[in-house]
Amino acid sequence: MKWKLILPLTLLLALGLTMQASAHGARIEYTISIAVEIRATYDTGEPMGGGQVTVYAPDDPTPWLEGVCDEDGRFVFTPDPSKPGTWDIQVRQAGHGDMVHIPIGDDMAISGGSGYTPLQIVLMGACVVWGFVGTAFFFSRRLALSLPKGRA
Amino acid sequence: MHIPDGILPAAVSVAGYATAGAATWHSLRKINQKEDPRESIPKASLLTAAFFVASWIHIPVPPTSVHLVLNGLLGAVLGYYAFPAILIGLFFQAVMFQHGGLTTLGVNATMMGVPALLAYFVFRLRSVVGKESRVWTGVFGFLAGAGGLGISVLISLVLLITTVPPHLDVEAERASIYALTLAHVPLIALEGVFTALVALFLQRVRPELLED
Repeated sequence: MKWKLILPLTLLLALGLTMQASAHGARIEYTISIAVEIRATYDTGEPMGGGQVTVYAPDDPTPWLEGVCDEDGRFVFTPDPSKPGTWDIQVRQAGHGDMVHIPIGDDMAISGGSGYTPLQIVLMGACVVWGFVGTAFFFSRRLALSLPKGRA
Repeated sequence: MHIPDGILPAAVSVAGYATAGAATWHSLRKINQKEDPRESIPKASLLTAAFFVASWIHIPVPPTSVHLVLNGLLGAVLGYYAFPAILIGLFFQAVMFQHGGLTTLGVNATMMGVPALLAYFVFRLRSVVGKESRVWTGVFGFLAGAGGLGISVLISLVLLITTVPPHLDVEAERASIYALTLAHVPLIALEGVFTALVALFLQRVRPELLED
């Protein structure tokens, strides 16, 4: 009679332990953080693949993170949310490169960049070229006006 | 070729401004000694525009691309006007398009302007062997155009190789600098030919533009 009670109790105990072990199988927690993706290209549009990236945290001149752009010139990193302010990211390759300043915190933008559109470039370039041509015309005119006087 | 802001140490940038200041002072002094210093300003202004635009003309040299510089041409045609012309062109390139930089303006001006003055002295040597000869004008035009850019490329190579920050992968950066320097070799030949053609053209249609 004793054995008839002990055997079922042992089985129930074993089953209970197993169920308890199953409940400890996995646990997932999450925190939302902001990732920054940059894409570095030369002014021809060619990606700066293999460009060396240096990330500077706000108010800290020592590099916070270093890495390398992928073949498409992309690099992704997650800034430390406890350091709000302007993060500086420099990409360098063969002595060429650029630095972009990304505000992280209350006044951050979804996207941005350090270049101009082609239309802006053409307009600005045309203005500067016209300045040089105008200077040439101005001094040519002075020369033309001064020649008769000199001869007279 | 244009070294941007944030690449060179501050001491090199300051030294660049010092050498550019000395070269500008010397060039302006020489220009002021001319009978009419304003006479060549239209020519200098138009070639400054050409220098300003030249950096947009990219030539693919796989796996990268290089852009025209034309500092040797400016030296051969403008003489002492070349240095201030290059300085002004670089200033507008830096301010308008961030091509180069304001902290590196002195370094870039020295890197391109001093070889332009050397190109001028090389081009002047044609008067020793025969100024009227079209062959010698072509030869010295080539030497001025190719030599001007070649010396600039060498200065750029030395500056960049010796100042790679230690926190970067120095070997990888140096390898890419060597590759970019080699990519300039075809451009050096191209600018030599272009300068020779321009010199020959000017000698035929307006020879007075090539006078000192």
